[in-house]
Amino acid sequence: MLPKSLKTTLTAVAAVTVLAVPATAQDKLKIGFLFPSPIADVGWSAELNHGRQAIEEHFGDQVETIFVENVPEGPDAARIMNQMAAQGAGMIMLGSFGYMNDGLKLAQQRPDMTFIHASGYKLAPNLGNFQSRNYESSYLVGMAAADVTETDTVGIVAAYAIPEVVGMINGFALGVQEVNPDVTIKVVWLNSWFDPPKAQESARALMAQQADVIYSLYQDTPSVVSVAEEEGVWVINTSSDMKDYAPNWLLASQIADWSTYFIESTQATIDGTFEGTAFWGGMADDTVDVKSWSSSISAETMAKIEAAAAAIRAGEFHPLTGPILDQEGTERLADGEVIEDGAMASIDWLVSGVETRIPQ
Amino acid sequence: MARFVIEARPERSVWAPIQVSLLAILLTCIGGSFLFMAYGVAPLKGLEAVFIDPLRSTYGIGEVLLKMAPLLLIAQGLAIGFRAQVWNIGAEGQLIVGAIGASLLAIQFDGTTSPLLLPGMIIAGMVGGMAWAGVAAFLRAQFNANEILVTFMLTSVALQLLYYLVSGPMRDPMGFNFPQSISFGPSATFPILIPGTRVNASLFLGLGVTVLALIFVQRSLAGYKLSVGGVAPGAAMYAGFSSKRAIWLALLISGGAAGLAGVGEVAGPLGMLQRNVSPGYGYAGIIVAVLGGLHPIGILFASALMALVYVGGDFALLTVGVPNAVTGIFQGMLLTFYLACSFLLTQRIRRITPETVPKGAPAE
Amino acid sequence: MDVLIFIVSGTLAAATALLFAAMGELVAEKSGMLNLGIEGMMATGAAMGFVALSVSGSHSVGFLAAAVLGAVLSLIYAMLTLVFRANQVASGLAIGILGLGLSSAIGKNYEGKTVTGLEELDLGPLSDIPLLGPMFFQQDVMVYLSIVLIFATWYLLNRTKLGLIIRAIGESPESAHALGLKVRLIRAGCVAFGGAMAGIGGAYMSTAYTPLWAEGMIAGRGWIVVALTVFGTWIVKRVAFGAYLFGSISLLELSIQAFGVNVPSQLMSAMPYIVTIVMLAVISRNPVFIRLNSPASLGATLKLN
Repeated sequence: MLPKSLKTTLTAVAAVTVLAVPATAQDKLKIGFLFPSPIADVGWSAELNHGRQAIEEHFGDQVETIFVENVPEGPDAARIMNQMAAQGAGMIMLGSFGYMNDGLKLAQQRPDMTFIHASGYKLAPNLGNFQSRNYESSYLVGMAAADVTETDTVGIVAAYAIPEVVGMINGFALGVQEVNPDVTIKVVWLNSWFDPPKAQESARALMAQQADVIYSLYQDTPSVVSVAEEEGVWVINTSSDMKDYAPNWLLASQIADWSTYFIESTQATIDGTFEGTAFWGGMADDTVDVKSWSSSISAETMAKIEAAAAAIRAGEFHPLTGPILDQEGTERLADGEVIEDGAMASIDWLVSGVETRIPQ
Repeated sequence: MARFVIEARPERSVWAPIQVSLLAILLTCIGGSFLFMAYGVAPLKGLEAVFIDPLRSTYGIGEVLLKMAPLLLIAQGLAIGFRAQVWNIGAEGQLIVGAIGASLLAIQFDGTTSPLLLPGMIIAGMVGGMAWAGVAAFLRAQFNANEILVTFMLTSVALQLLYYLVSGPMRDPMGFNFPQSISFGPSATFPILIPGTRVNASLFLGLGVTVLALIFVQRSLAGYKLSVGGVAPGAAMYAGFSSKRAIWLALLISGGAAGLAGVGEVAGPLGMLQRNVSPGYGYAGIIVAVLGGLHPIGILFASALMALVYVGGDFALLTVGVPNAVTGIFQGMLLTFYLACSFLLTQRIRRITPETVPKGAPAE
Repeated sequence: MDVLIFIVSGTLAAATALLFAAMGELVAEKSGMLNLGIEGMMATGAAMGFVALSVSGSHSVGFLAAAVLGAVLSLIYAMLTLVFRANQVASGLAIGILGLGLSSAIGKNYEGKTVTGLEELDLGPLSDIPLLGPMFFQQDVMVYLSIVLIFATWYLLNRTKLGLIIRAIGESPESAHALGLKVRLIRAGCVAFGGAMAGIGGAYMSTAYTPLWAEGMIAGRGWIVVALTVFGTWIVKRVAFGAYLFGSISLLELSIQAFGVNVPSQLMSAMPYIVTIVMLAVISRNPVFIRLNSPASLGATLKLN
């Protein structure tokens, strides 16, 4: 057994040495992907990975993708991306906020490469970033939550109060209030990106305080969703469709589909037309959507949701349109005023009606 | 009728540590081969990716040196304590507090071009690490509280302190609530040594501490012969000092060195304070200290080897496509085999035939 | 009232994984073996238990597999420290690192998958008692087994000859050896028991408490276990009390948050360690107490021939 494998090893090494030169000479775009967590069936990394698969499907032999999962947001991430660059990657997708500074450094050293970065705020001519207008779909699922709650209490399990999360809570709360202004909205901050047992405890803590709809905001694992199914409490999920994990109690899944943006960026890289811009994908371009609506939502509300969805898609309606007061009662948006993208990107206040404050 | 006995080596060969290390590396390679085969990777290719590939490019060597600096610092500091039987296992926490200390200055004096900022940060980091270890020293000296347990607990406390600071008081006000500080300016970061790499001047801190450790050991050795087993009795190491002073000294030195490692991270590859300050350098440092046989020169090599395994593991992720579990298993195996093999440093297995009657009871 | 039920019943469940691992670690420490690899063993147990359950469909098989693998890992630790006379701290950390890597490798293809959790034990009319029923009598079998384990551990250590031997070995392995006791064998047994219990504790996390596998899900709970034995000053009932106390902390924090009050969550997370340090300082000051309860040879390398 061993001698045989040793032999194949030697052949393999020899083959690699011979092939090394022609392989790099080919005009094939190599694209590297860094995922912050292990790729599972569902979750943030899984959705980014779907984007990678979409690229492979769309471009076929024109591209080659390589990826590393579970890359911590520390000094080691830089090594992985540099290694990808050294292996001839022409484009790199940075799947988490924490890769921003190292990604930017590499982008400046390698103007011949292009970079797309998830949810950051720094740009370079060859580094663009992408974020989703999840607050749009949050608004819709909020309407559904208000429809099904019987206790008039909904709970949110959230990781950190970063703008994207804050924006989604606001969108959700405004959707809830659109249908039923008397609903109490509670938030539990995990202060951790990843702790499934604690996420589950949070969901139970909210249920113990009468919440009968739980909004699982960016919990990568089905921890919250499965506890809701077990306890018979409505649950809304973000990132991936988790219908399979809660066939009875999933109210809706907010999903993000990066395929279009990834394919466009790849095409731009191939064509040499890439520009480092901030991409905001929303419902209008199908980056953001809601799937698996529960049939328990009343027809009346569902019609309202569909109308709102159509208005958002058509660009006629923005969930954060004044008058909006924050938790302190200060007017943040005047009547009819629509929040700007820049303000949305740095939003650090919650709308009135949300019971829990932002930490600190 | 022949039988085997384990007995203490009468004397310690200079080459023994090297032989033992090589044996451990060999066993790790054998174990690693099976691991690679389990992932469908040809063993030689896998081993090549871990041990050789990083050394093929300047960048790779730079990465190894970058990883080596904190390991070297921490391990040299810890070894001084370990030799005196003072077990500081909380270098991770001391590193974190050191990083916090240095970052406080960097944030406070953001924008300054003063050349004094970096030295100030180095001192602040060292003091931070010493202070954190000092808590354990105080509790040990005054209350007799076991320093293994206290330093260990303090690491978890330090981690929460860091989480609190980066998501609150030390958070970048313009950073969109992300849990991290501002990016440090050039006067608050170590200069890069080799262009195109990330190796920075903090490596000199590690090398400097190595030299100091060497002098320290030589001096101590001058007065006190090593015992037969090769291990100096704790008290002899610091003869003339009271045991309380030994505890203070050992913990302050190791804490200060770990604090320096923390400075090296925030003022080096990170360039800011964030939640992931260290990928477990504090624990890896313990391993390096043991792997280096608690000797400054041994530690120098051990830290290079450990850094190579870290970097090589990352390389292997891409070149042969193994999951990152492999790095951990590799490190675990390396240390396990080393710990098992190092038994041969002090003991030997001897075959006894009826003619050779054992000369009295073995030592110890 | 619901909140009270949530905290009490939740604490019983949250403490279960800690109790299993802590009772195991306590027995190991009583024999003088400081096993710092608990985090890795719990993680390996969590991964192994989850995979075994997924494959076999049986929770018992899951727990058994986790216990066996935990024991195997801890026996490597025992071999390093007892046969090769390696330092306990370094050996424990080495096995811990090995275990974390192993957990990630074992669970690779199961990342983010879920299983059906353990059923609540049917306790008939007991579970229908108002307030007390939902608090205490609507739990899975492992919750009750962990309570049985507390009493069993207490009985073993304080009322049996084996317990006496374990404590004697922890006190002074050299004199125990001189008395003809099989120091290595008994220590290895204690460590294997500790590893098996850590494995079960880990498997409880992944197959009952949060019935899913995700790498890193043990998230420092193994370190809490080491803190627990110290916090409990190596006395069974205090360790058990500590497990419930530490288990309740995050539930309290989350409940207070759900009321709309922000709490310094980092301070809450650091609390178990801070109180443990204070506790250690207080008890260590009393030499009599320490001599009676703390295994004197804890962490020391075995020097037998």
